[in-house]
Amino acid sequence: MSWELIRDILITTVPLLVIFPSLFAFTTWIERKALARIQNRIGPNKTGVPCTRISLFGLGQPAADGIKMLFKEDIVPKGADRLFHLLAPIVALIPAMLVLCFLPLEFPWAKFVQAPVQAFLLDGAVIFFFAITGLNTLAVFMAGWASRNKYSLLGGMRAIAQMVSYEIPLVLSAVIVVMLVGSLNAADIAAAQKGYQWHLFTPWGLAAFVIFFIAALAETNRSPFDLPEAESELIAGYFTEYSGFKFALFFLGEYIAMFAISGLAVTLFLGAGEGPGVAAVPALSVAWFIAKIFALIGIMIWLRGTLPRLRVDQLMAFAWKFLLPLSILNILIAGFAWHVAKSGAGTGLKAVVWIASLITLYAVARGLNRISRPEAAPREYKYAE
Amino acid sequence: MTQETAFYLLAIIAVLAAVTAVRLRNLIHGVFALVIFFAALAGLFLLLMAQFIAAVQVLVYIGAVGILLLFAIMLTERVTGDDGRRITSRGGFWGATAALGVAVFVLLPGIQQTDLNRLPAELAEANATAADANATMAPPHTVEALGKRLIEPYIITLEVVALLLTAALIGAVAVSQGARRVEDEEEASP
Repeated sequence: MSWELIRDILITTVPLLVIFPSLFAFTTWIERKALARIQNRIGPNKTGVPCTRISLFGLGQPAADGIKMLFKEDIVPKGADRLFHLLAPIVALIPAMLVLCFLPLEFPWAKFVQAPVQAFLLDGAVIFFFAITGLNTLAVFMAGWASRNKYSLLGGMRAIAQMVSYEIPLVLSAVIVVMLVGSLNAADIAAAQKGYQWHLFTPWGLAAFVIFFIAALAETNRSPFDLPEAESELIAGYFTEYSGFKFALFFLGEYIAMFAISGLAVTLFLGAGEGPGVAAVPALSVAWFIAKIFALIGIMIWLRGTLPRLRVDQLMAFAWKFLLPLSILNILIAGFAWHVAKSGAGTGLKAVVWIASLITLYAVARGLNRISRPEAAPREYKYAE
Repeated sequence: MTQETAFYLLAIIAVLAAVTAVRLRNLIHGVFALVIFFAALAGLFLLLMAQFIAAVQVLVYIGAVGILLLFAIMLTERVTGDDGRRITSRGGFWGATAALGVAVFVLLPGIQQTDLNRLPAELAEANATAADANATMAPPHTVEALGKRLIEPYIITLEVVALLLTAALIGAVAVSQGARRVEDEEEASP
């Protein structure tokens, strides 16, 4: 273990550990403000610089939240499994943090670094990403089970069912990009989209992006898929019994997971760090990457303010009867289109393939939508009239 | 040096976690001990430069098998985990003897026959001669090499496995549907 290696690791990983948690603070402020505006409220507007009357649109709110969380009493229920209760927030945070290093962020200072640290740009980065984000489910279950509270346990059970179901369309829609690029390496995928040939701009890429984004919402427990923490049904779901710093860790883990999965979506479909001015100033690529992540987070917040929560049967039917067949069909279409493009077909044929695939995807989506909608039977009351 | 330390650390964690998984009476704790064991195994695969296998170890064993075990436990009445009952097992002595016998008479001779106990220099020499014989037999470390192996020489095996898994999937659906139909009929008949 040489000092150079330690230095290199510090240079490449510490920025991740600084940038994303500070973005987390900023995002909570954006979310509060945006949700407030959507609901015709004002949102935080008093907290600003301490001991002055400067409020800065409530930008001091994240700091105030953080201080409040730290000073809150840490309460553990009497019957709880103390070890698992303590471990769950940590297990929730670590995988979320870990996958950040698979994102192809080209930090301007990374060029001072020797080769070994590029180990993070593993050959199988995309597979590792999915493998490690899957660990989040365990943390959610751990929290729900260790609290020894029926609401917590129900939240944990819902979380497992939901995450297992939505992981399949998530991975299958990412498969398209891996197939078209021919590499699992995040840097290769980013390089393959140079020159604004983003995968978003093809019919199959667009469909895959939409499926990916919806499944990502479900994976990160964002509304309208926030059944594991449904406030009106389960108090707070799996973290009902958490308070103080442990609650803050859960919160942080959830947002970091949102950043990570949005980062993967940006890498796979939105051309990673590409944008105007990157050719002249390479350092801008990090800024573009983060700006695109924020655009996706903004959509997530918007959806949270707009859509009501799904029912459990709707949730399952949507994953298994709508997203899954559509993503499998999409893989076939993408493979076909790839072969047409590779066989050196002319522009006319390519245009035909484009339009045909657009029409097919749209028609199949409409048809599946009609078939897969669970019919709501009239409610039967067992214990009431 | 660091690699050796890492190996011994991971190996100790793996063995301890495996023993804990068997010994613990709380089922959920047992599953999590098993998950730690799987994670340590993934670390060992990474040490062997087998990236893809490590990723699949995490994906399949922790992400799927571990979660399925939790799912199965949740469907039983032991969700809470507190259970006074314990299985009284005798014959631990005979089991240990059998395990020791297998280790000494089967595993150790098997390991002796591999290249593991040869000196590195000797091994390099042997590899050099072998490399002359067939230069294509490079160890498939990378995902790409593994993928090519799977698609090119072993494509039929892969397809057969895929077919088998699909059959199992359809079978599972058929079995569960059949059970539900029987239930419905039973409910309808009286």
